[in-house]
Amino acid sequence: MADLDEHVVAPARLKLLVTLTAVSEVEFSTVRDSLEVSDSVLSKHLTALESVGYVKRRKGVHRGRRTTWISLTPRGRKALNAHIAALRALIDGTT
Amino acid sequence: MPFWKVPGILSSMENTPKRPNATEASTALSEAEASRSMLVERITTPSWFFTSIGAAIACQIASSAAGVGATSPATLAALVAGIVALAAVAGVQLARFRRLNGVWVGGFLSRVVLGTGSLASASYAVASVAAILAAFDARWWLVAIWSTIGGAAYALSGRHWLRVYRAEPARHAQAESVVWLALMTVTALASLALLLIYR
Repeated sequence: MADLDEHVVAPARLKLLVTLTAVSEVEFSTVRDSLEVSDSVLSKHLTALESVGYVKRRKGVHRGRRTTWISLTPRGRKALNAHIAALRALIDGTT
Repeated sequence: MPFWKVPGILSSMENTPKRPNATEASTALSEAEASRSMLVERITTPSWFFTSIGAAIACQIASSAAGVGATSPATLAALVAGIVALAAVAGVQLARFRRLNGVWVGGFLSRVVLGTGSLASASYAVASVAAILAAFDARWWLVAIWSTIGGAAYALSGRHWLRVYRAEPARHAQAESVVWLALMTVTALASLALLLIYR
């Protein structure tokens, strides 16, 4: 897996990162509903991606209650672009 | 949730990455893009969003033209009130957008609200200059027309950006750099100050 990013290979993580490219920041339950996963599944992937610096989490407020806001980091964006390029090469049969 | 379901769910989380084949890679990419589309399609503007932004811009253009074109404490107060009202409307509507959608989109802030899109910035500049020239001649009906045109074009530009964003969200989600936005704001305020000084 020389070109594919091991931290993004899991389709759920790819979905999460690609979804984050559409916004500057998204609230936890919004992205959870969009990805159709449970809180714990999303938290697990976020922790993994945060540990390698691909996403950033911050505590905030949404509709009057405390929640988490999530964003893609420049490093995460770069890694995602490289990973997608590798996937496209794989699809095209050039790797 | 029954305990026996957990392994199945965990396996769907793909804890162990394996190199996908071409079909799996294609499916993964398609599904990821579908998830992004699902989020983007849910993003909507609060009620009266474009109408209020367009009206606030029209009022701001008219009050600035009055402030620059006619010398009196009342018109200067109107100029300041127009800017404050625009800032208030923009702030309230952005807060409503964030609350409604659970997202923050930098491109929406800069292109739709701050008017950095080419149509918004060009129409705003043309309408402002035309309204100020009309105010110098005290043709207030023309000031009203140009202000309305400026506000309407600004709102239409915002609607256009939203359509473009929905088609290519990753390309349009980010705002211009903070330095660029600050430079534009300083330039706009400096232009207004110069007009007030040399009118």
